[in-house]
Amino acid sequence: MSGAAPTYAIAFTGLTLTQVLTVLGVAGGLVFVLYLLKLRRRRVEVPFVKLWETVLAEKQTTRLFSQLKRWLSFLVALAVVALLAFALGDPRPEGALDEGRSLVVLVDASASMQATDVQPSRFERGRQQVERLVEELGPADRMLIAQLDASATPLSPLSGEPRVLRDALEKLEPTDVAANLRAGLHLALDVLRGQPQPEVVLVSDGNLTSDRFNADAFAGELRRAGMRLSWMKVGRRGDNVGVGAFSVRRYPLDKSQSEVLVELYNPGEEDEQVELELLGDGDTVDVQRLTVHAGERLRRFFRNVSGVDQTLEARLRRADGTTDPLEADDRAYARLPQRRRARVCVVSAGNLYLQAALLLDEYLDVDEVTPDAYPCEGEHDVTVFDGFVPPTPPATAALYLYPDVDADDRAGPIEVTGEIERPFFDHVNRRHPLVQFTALRDVNVARALEVRLADGQRAVAWDDRGPLIVTGRQEGHPFVAMTFDLRESDLPLRVAWPLLLLNSIDWFVQEDAGFVSSFETGETWRVPVPAGLEQVTIVDPTGEAREVPVVEGRAVYAGRHAGFYTVRTPEGEETFAANLGPGEESRIAPAESLTVGEIDAGAPTRGEVGVRREIWLYLVLLVLAILAVEWISYHRRVTV
Amino acid sequence: MLDWLRGKKDSGPAKAKRGGDEDLFDEEFQRRLEYLAIVARRVYAGRMRAERRSKKTGAGIEFADHRDYVPGDDFRYLDWNVYQRTGRLLVRLFEEEEDLSVYVLLDTSRSMGMGSPRKIDYGKKLAAALGYVALANLDRVSILSFTDRMEERLAPTRGKNRIFKLFEFLRPLQPDGETGLQDALKTFAAQNKRRGIAILISDLYDPAGFEDGINQLRYAKFEPYVIHLFDPIEVEPPLHGDVRLVDHETGEARDVTITPRILAKYKAAHEAYRKEIADFCGQKQVAYHALRTDVPFDEAILSVLRSGGLVR
Repeated sequence: MSGAAPTYAIAFTGLTLTQVLTVLGVAGGLVFVLYLLKLRRRRVEVPFVKLWETVLAEKQTTRLFSQLKRWLSFLVALAVVALLAFALGDPRPEGALDEGRSLVVLVDASASMQATDVQPSRFERGRQQVERLVEELGPADRMLIAQLDASATPLSPLSGEPRVLRDALEKLEPTDVAANLRAGLHLALDVLRGQPQPEVVLVSDGNLTSDRFNADAFAGELRRAGMRLSWMKVGRRGDNVGVGAFSVRRYPLDKSQSEVLVELYNPGEEDEQVELELLGDGDTVDVQRLTVHAGERLRRFFRNVSGVDQTLEARLRRADGTTDPLEADDRAYARLPQRRRARVCVVSAGNLYLQAALLLDEYLDVDEVTPDAYPCEGEHDVTVFDGFVPPTPPATAALYLYPDVDADDRAGPIEVTGEIERPFFDHVNRRHPLVQFTALRDVNVARALEVRLADGQRAVAWDDRGPLIVTGRQEGHPFVAMTFDLRESDLPLRVAWPLLLLNSIDWFVQEDAGFVSSFETGETWRVPVPAGLEQVTIVDPTGEAREVPVVEGRAVYAGRHAGFYTVRTPEGEETFAANLGPGEESRIAPAESLTVGEIDAGAPTRGEVGVRREIWLYLVLLVLAILAVEWISYHRRVTV
Repeated sequence: MLDWLRGKKDSGPAKAKRGGDEDLFDEEFQRRLEYLAIVARRVYAGRMRAERRSKKTGAGIEFADHRDYVPGDDFRYLDWNVYQRTGRLLVRLFEEEEDLSVYVLLDTSRSMGMGSPRKIDYGKKLAAALGYVALANLDRVSILSFTDRMEERLAPTRGKNRIFKLFEFLRPLQPDGETGLQDALKTFAAQNKRRGIAILISDLYDPAGFEDGINQLRYAKFEPYVIHLFDPIEVEPPLHGDVRLVDHETGEARDVTITPRILAKYKAAHEAYRKEIADFCGQKQVAYHALRTDVPFDEAILSVLRSGGLVR
C-alpha cells in the first residue's frame, strides 16, 4: 500500500451547505403539507354503499399494508426533495477540486493576428485552438479566457464550465493594436496566484510588444508562483508590406495646400512591387508604383496636394493585384486641420511689415484702427497692438509688439525692469508651436525691453539677459508679447517674421500648425473638443458609438481600430483619424520561440481524461429513476 | 288474457304538439311508441288468447271499435257490412266485460337520479312505453311513484288518447327520498283492491332488502313484473386511489383505497346481487328483467316483451 488515503469529504461548490439545508427544510415542509392534503380523501357518491361493504370488510385486513404504502410514498417524496436540494449544492469530492489545472488563456488580438497566411485567419485559428483546449479540459480543470491587445481583458471567470468558456470565446474580437505581453502576464499572475497547478497559455504568433517590460522580473515571479508558461503558436509566413507611417500637414504660408508623408515598410525577405494610392476626401489624388526592398522603410512625399479639405487615405496593394496576408496595415488614414477664418484687429499707427505679413494668409479678416480709434468695431478673435497698450486688457487674445512702458514700469501684461542692448535669440523653445519652421538664431535686434516674468508667463525665445518673446494669459485670454521693435531689427526682412506672426494667430485660434493628423491605436487619445463639454460621443470605424468623458477640454479615449472616427457634440460632428500603433505589427513572421526572461514557453499541458465528477448529475438521474418507478407503479395500480 | 298485447285497433298516439324544449316525451319518442305498439301486437298476436286468464264473458260483448284485418284474425269477427260498402276488411272489436288493470310502479328515490342517462328518466320512458302499449290495447293503466312510501298516483285510465295524461304525470317526477320497497308496496297493495299486473321499475337499492317488497305484491295477488335498472358505471365505477364513498340516499360514508383488485371484487359483488334478485324472482315465479340504461329504451321494451315475462 502506498500513497495518501483517499479523501471522501464533499465540498459544495454551488449552494452552501446552509443554503442546501434551508432549501431542504422549506421543500420538506411543503411536501409534508401536500402529504397531509393528499390524506384528505376525494368524496365520491355511490347509489348503494351497502354493496361495497363486503369488499370493505376484506379491506380491513390490508389496512396495515396500506398505511405502510402511504409512509413509503411520503418518504419517496422526501428523498426526491433531498436529492434535488443536494444537487443544487453541486457537491464534489474535495480531492477532485484540488487536483485540476488552473489555466489563464491569453488570446492575442493584435493586428498581426488578422493575417490570413493560415485560413481563415490567425485569430480564428487561435480561437479554434482554444476551443480544443476547452474540450480537453479535465474534470477538475478550470480556465479563464482573456483577450490580449493593448491591455488584457478577461472574458470569463475562472471556470470549468465549457458553456461559459465557449461564450467567452464568442466575445473575442481582433483589434488594430499591438499586443501587450506585460499586461497579459500581470493579469495571469493576479488570477493564478494561490491556485493549484497554475499555467499561462499564450495563443499568439509571438509578435508581442514588451515596452517597459522587465522580463527577468516577470520570469522570477512566474517561477516563484510555480506558474508554467505555454505557447500555442499560430501563423506560418512573414511576407507583408504595410504603411508604416502616414502624416499630413498644411503649408504654413499656403494653407490651401498640404504635404503628405507616407512610409512603406517591407519586413519580409523578398522585394515587393506595390501600388500606392492616395485618396483625398474619398477621391483618388495620386497613384504610384513602387518597389520596396526586403527590410526597407521607403518614404514618399506627396507635395503641394491641393483640393483636399478634410480626409486623406493611403491604400496599398501588390502591383500584381493580389493582397498580402495582412490587410490591416495596407491602409492608413489622416485628417487635415480644419481651416476657419480668423478675425484680427490691428491697432497701429501704421506698420507696413505687419500689414504685408497679414496679407499672406487669405483666411484672415483684418480690421485696422489707429490707437485713437481703439477699440475696433465688431467681434474679433485676435487683437494685434503695435506699440500701443490699451488702458484695459482686451477681451480677445492679444499680440503685443514692443508695447509702450507706462509710469508703473509695465508694458501691458509684462513688467519692465530696464533695457537690453543688442540682444540675440540665444535660446528658442523649438517645441513651442509659435516658433515652428522659423530660424531666429541670427536675427539682429538693436535693443529690447528687459522684463521680469510673472507667474504663468513663459519665455519662448530669450537672450541670456532676458526674454524676447513671452507668452501668458491676461484676464483669461492668451497673449504673446515681443519685447523689441520690429523696425529696430532685421526680423521683418526674414521669412521667420510672417511665420512667427501667423503661428501666433494660429495658436490663438487653436489652429495649431502641429495639428495631430492621426492618432495611433493602442494609446490613450486626447481628442480636442469644444470647450464646456463634460462628455461627447465617439463613433468608431465599425459604427459603434460610445460615450467618452472630457478632461481639460479633450475627450479621453483608447481606440482599438484604425480608420476615421466621428466625435458628436451638441455643436456638430468632427472627424479624426487613427492608424495602427507604432509597434512592429507589419512584421508578421511568427516568432521561432517565445521567452520571458530565462523561461521558454512550452506546449500546453493536456487535461486529465476522465469522467466528470459532477455528483449533481447523478443525483438528478437518481431522481428521474425514482420518478419513473413511481410513475410505472402508479399506472400499474401497484401503489394506489 | 293480457289483451293489451293482443292486436286491437291501433291508430297510434295522438300527434300532440309539444314545446320545443328538451322533452323526454318528444315527437321522436312518440313515433317510437307507435312502432313499439305495432311490433308488440305482431309478436304476441297468435299466442295470447288461450294463455291468459280473463274475466270477460263470451256473450253480451259490447261493440267498441273497428280495426284493419290482419292475417290470423278470427273470420267470425269480420264486419261484412263494412266490406260491402267500402271494400275494406275490418274486424269488429268488443269491449271486455272486465278489463285488465296494469299498474306501473316507478321508483323515484334519490338513487334513481344517478347514472347517465339518469335511471329515473330511463324509467319514465319505460313506464310511458309500457303504459302506451297497454292503453293501445284498452287496458286500464295506472302509474304510481314511490320511495319508502307511495308518492304520486295517476288514477287508472283507459284509451290510447290518454297517453298525454301519462306524460303529464311522469314529467314532473324527480328523484328524492330513500328506497323502502316493503312499506311502499304494502301501502300500494292496501290502496288498490283491483288486482292486475304490477310492473315494478326500480334499481332495487333497498338497504332493507328487495324480497319483502316483491312479496307484498305476491301476497296481495298482483302479478308482479320486476324491471331492474342499473347504470353500467355502477357495475364498473371509474375510481382509483383514496376515496370516501358516500351513499347518495342515506349519506352513509365508507373510506376505501380503490385498487384494481377491489374494483374486481366490487364488480363481482354487484353481479352476485343481480343474480340473487334473479334467483329470488325465478323461485317465486316472478318475471324479472335486468336492464342497463345504456341500451336504447325501445330496444329494451322489445326485449322485455319478447322475454315473455309479461305473459303467463
